[in-house]
Amino acid sequence: MISRSKTSPEHVEVRVLRQAAPQQRSYWERFRVAYEPDMNVISVLQRIAARPRTADGQDVTPVAWDCNCLEEVCGACTMVVNGRVRQSCSALVDRLLEENPAEIELRPMTKFPVLRDLMVDRSRLFRALEKVKAWVPVDSYHDMGAGPRQSPEAQQESYPYSQCMSCGCCLDACPQYRKIELIQRDDETDEQFAARQAATYDRNFVGPHAIAQAILFNQNPTGQMNADERVEALTAPGGVQVCGNAQNCVSVCPKEIPLTTAIAQAGRAATVHSIKRWFDR
Amino acid sequence: MAGETNDSWLVRHEFLLRRLHSLSGLIPVGAFMIVHLLTNSSVQNGPGAFQKNVYLIHSLDALLPLVEWVFIFIPIFFHGIFGIVIIAGGLPNTSSYPNASNIRYVLQRVTGVLAFLFIVWHVFHMHGWIHADWWIDGVAKNLGGAQFKPYNAASTAGLALQSFVVIVAYVVGVLACVFHLANGIWTMGITWGAWTSPAAQRRANAVCTVFGVGLAVIGLAALQGMWAQGRGEALEEAIRIEDQQYNAAVQAGILKPNEEKRAQPSEAEPGREASVDQASARSPR
Amino acid sequence: MAQQKVVVIGGGLAGLAAAMKLAELGVAVDLVSLTPVKRSHSVCAQGGINSVNDQTRPLGDDEWIHFDDTVYGGDFLQHQPPVKEMAYWAPKIIDLMDRLGVTFNRTPEGFLDRRRFGGTLFKRTAFAGATTGQQLLYALDEQVRRYEVAGLIKKYEYWDFLAPILDAGGQCRGCVIQDLVSMEIRPLAADAVIVASGGPGLIYGRSTMSMACNGSAASRCFQVGVKYANGEFIQVHPTAVPGSDKLRLMSESARGEGGRVWVPRTPQDSRPAAQIPESERYYFLEDRYPEYGNLVPRDIATREIFNVCTKEGLSVESERLCVYLDLTHLPREMLDTKLGGILEIYEKFQGVDPREVPMKIFPAVHYSMGGLWVDYERTADGGLTAASPRNQQTNVPGLFAIGECDYQYHGGNRLGANSLLSCIFSGLYVAPSVVSYFQTREATGEVPPALLEQEGRRHQERHDALLKRRSGKENPYLVHQELGNLMTRAATVVRDNDDLRSAIETVHQLRDRADRCALSDTGNWTNQNVVFTKSLIDMFPLALSILQGALARDECRGAHYKPAFAMPGIEADSPEEKRRLAEAWCDRFEENTKKWLKSTIAEYDSSSREVRLSYEPVDTTLIPPRPRLYGLVGAEVIEEVWKERLASRAGDVSGNGSGAGTKETVAAS
Repeated sequence: MISRSKTSPEHVEVRVLRQAAPQQRSYWERFRVAYEPDMNVISVLQRIAARPRTADGQDVTPVAWDCNCLEEVCGACTMVVNGRVRQSCSALVDRLLEENPAEIELRPMTKFPVLRDLMVDRSRLFRALEKVKAWVPVDSYHDMGAGPRQSPEAQQESYPYSQCMSCGCCLDACPQYRKIELIQRDDETDEQFAARQAATYDRNFVGPHAIAQAILFNQNPTGQMNADERVEALTAPGGVQVCGNAQNCVSVCPKEIPLTTAIAQAGRAATVHSIKRWFDR
Repeated sequence: MAGETNDSWLVRHEFLLRRLHSLSGLIPVGAFMIVHLLTNSSVQNGPGAFQKNVYLIHSLDALLPLVEWVFIFIPIFFHGIFGIVIIAGGLPNTSSYPNASNIRYVLQRVTGVLAFLFIVWHVFHMHGWIHADWWIDGVAKNLGGAQFKPYNAASTAGLALQSFVVIVAYVVGVLACVFHLANGIWTMGITWGAWTSPAAQRRANAVCTVFGVGLAVIGLAALQGMWAQGRGEALEEAIRIEDQQYNAAVQAGILKPNEEKRAQPSEAEPGREASVDQASARSPR
Repeated sequence: MAQQKVVVIGGGLAGLAAAMKLAELGVAVDLVSLTPVKRSHSVCAQGGINSVNDQTRPLGDDEWIHFDDTVYGGDFLQHQPPVKEMAYWAPKIIDLMDRLGVTFNRTPEGFLDRRRFGGTLFKRTAFAGATTGQQLLYALDEQVRRYEVAGLIKKYEYWDFLAPILDAGGQCRGCVIQDLVSMEIRPLAADAVIVASGGPGLIYGRSTMSMACNGSAASRCFQVGVKYANGEFIQVHPTAVPGSDKLRLMSESARGEGGRVWVPRTPQDSRPAAQIPESERYYFLEDRYPEYGNLVPRDIATREIFNVCTKEGLSVESERLCVYLDLTHLPREMLDTKLGGILEIYEKFQGVDPREVPMKIFPAVHYSMGGLWVDYERTADGGLTAASPRNQQTNVPGLFAIGECDYQYHGGNRLGANSLLSCIFSGLYVAPSVVSYFQTREATGEVPPALLEQEGRRHQERHDALLKRRSGKENPYLVHQELGNLMTRAATVVRDNDDLRSAIETVHQLRDRADRCALSDTGNWTNQNVVFTKSLIDMFPLALSILQGALARDECRGAHYKPAFAMPGIEADSPEEKRRLAEAWCDRFEENTKKWLKSTIAEYDSSSREVRLSYEPVDTTLIPPRPRLYGLVGAEVIEEVWKERLASRAGDVSGNGSGAGTKETVAAS
């Protein structure tokens, strides 16, 4: 419970780590936003966008950031707020001021290339979903009747994983997930660059979100049919073996997805799979 | 940051290497450590009890170096060196995310490095690594290494532990090894998929904690026991017992006499008379 | 034959469904979206998706009744064949989504579980927890990713749709898009363009819609000549949590479980709610509707809450309009078991525990029934001709519209859990139609490179000019805020012709001010300022369509409520008098139906920048229109009179309207 009766400040001090474009130097800028009840970080950024002037009165460009649903289901507005990665829509100003009454500190995610200010390029996160084949490979979209029956227990087990909104919190907090920022070379076409990017991403850690998605589709009765392909992907370079069990993923996940359970299940599947493969070859 | 199209051998075999690393931590390295600490803690039952265990190990005789290298030293080197590769791939962030498991993630790496450095030095300090005269006499001894003599096990070990710095290093080293093993078993259970649900992981954590505390007690008991054998009257008594056992074993034909594995007179300062007395027994066959 | 290519604008349910179905048919797809498609607004839908199913059939349900419920809920403003087709497809669509791995809730035996939603008597709604829209979207997103890996779909995420490209013959040959990161403007040639850009919530400032729902894509099509239909039909949800950034939906179930709506009798009483004594609380719904209390129908609740705040000035806060939705008198354990999920959402975003402090809520714009006009081809039995190139095609050849941004399925008001259905249905259904369009259209050959280049350059110049403009001092964000406030006041819950007239005037002024906006960012890298300003400028044509459509429509229909033209219930003592009034009521209803049962068609004149209205008759041949009497005083006698008229007419024209009477009893009860 928060009380904002007497202690409500007149202004909120906001410190934003800004960066004009990729590869450029970042710098801090301080803003002062009039306090309103029920503010969240998004509304603070909206006020800054409407009147981009720093605390010391300088007119600057508005802060760029990413958001969409503002209900914590789309995963767009992830950023590092007061040192902790989270969705900025559900980061309430009153709560943040309890953590630190002096100011609110906003930084872009640390594991993804900054595009501008608080906007980052999270394409690697989606590439990981391609790598683990996170889909049900149905034959067609024709009318073939209902899907296989599933027990409510199985649905309850899968449902949490299916809520993953690819926000990237788990990746940003993971000490084993390292930032990769590639620069397009002059002699490289867009396609060549995209291919190089994909190859580099594939070699590095897929991340807890993708491991959980692989488990989700391996639990699905139809998805199960190519479970081996997903386990194969999870034991390829950058697979589940990179996990260092710091378990930050599960503690920062805004949807409380049991990511460490997925990782352990992936570990078990990998164990069985690799032993089987070794004896079968 | 990797950017080349040709993956290195290390990258291509990442899964296998990581799993071997995980496995080697328990078998043989961890398992050896448990046996080692248990054996050493038998010194709490007197130097004779410990000496008996050492004789048992040394009954392998010529095979011993082979066993040591294949089952202990090489796995330790693999585990340690690949461990450093793993550590280099991580980026600790406990200041932002001070969760218990994240702190243990860092501790696992810190204790891993400590344990590896400690083991390298500990083997040198006690064992000397290589049983070649030029090395032992020419290098190791001059650097304070190779102080343990298997046929004067407790007394030489105890003597080697008398310096304050050394005993502190051993306490830290042993605790680091114990934490690394206990926490390592817990993470291994996740890596291999033995405990998957949060509840199972919590239970496994409790078991690993009990195991770790137990092993720490055993390790510290071994250290304390050794250290106690290396001073005052206990030392004299220890040497007396060890020499007695040696002589008895040699006379019974169970043991091949081997002066290399015994304390040299110059090394054991107090209680020399006892040794001198027995010098006659050391006459060649 | 060269590979055909389609550009799909928007990656929500409709756009993704169309993209994957086209890919399956071997057509290459460029998928353009303001956000990564997985972050589209469809994720916000919580409730579920409707279809007739094996649990409802034994109770007498069938596709026809689902169709009837939808048409009745929409106040008969939809063309009926597409709605019928959708209702008959619904079970197949849910089967498909089930096969795609959607984690629908299950019965103990393993079948799909269903819940009941508003506007129907049957448990038709399949659901996946409280995140059905998210689950459905993800399933489609995964299929699209699969085709992306296979190379048939190419995504342009963080790209803005600037305009369709029309050739000299008026055929759509591609579109111009802009990279929101690098600001690169690029013309894309295409054999067809499908717009699936969702609703225009941002025109109302804050709504329950996402930030990408700015209506700009629809407006940009409108501005090159696509008709916009029924714009004035905007669904307002009675209970949303007003946030300073957006309005978040609060489920009706809070009232269902005993929540009470009230305001302090003293305007803007500054005391905390708990300290306001019972005698100083005004439970206005319970007072005014003793029979229904807090559970009055949605539109009535919406209107009363709106009125008590605006007309009566009793809003809880002075800065923003809201009333209390109070659960604090209910036992905690009950709240936790029955409402746990939604209360957590409130707590998460408001930082206040609704079990201890009353929630503050207000109605919010939720969905646009209107949208781009699209065609369909009808079969003899009143369904759609599968794969007809006319289906979902706008009046611009080669330009199709699907999902919330088309006007076709919901008429005057939308039934709960029907939006997800209409999005997926129109997405899947459009794909074969587009393929037939390729075969039936005149041979056009390659898109002339000069046309592409010219269109690209035109938009580049407009963009550059906007960046360089130094003239004005207007702030686009403030203009947007004013537009939102104005639209919310004039064109949501209660509509009044004087208000609408003055709002139209103000919108013109605001548009002029928007033209003079100065940018705070004049750079050419990830410039959100210029992108927002462009979308703001494009809000005005749609805003005018909504306002003018509302002004012209002098009646009450669905979500469009004009008190001056309301048809109140009848109150009389003697049965004869009742009877007489009911006859008069039905006469008036028929007259009104004749006059107003027609779609509003808005067209944009780009030279004068004005919106012109015309009307189009509605195909109601399958289910004849009948009055919606829910909650009306004297409903029984009106219904009686109405049925008699229907029966006598059925006698006159034998065969016509057969069966409607029996269906009606189900739907109207």
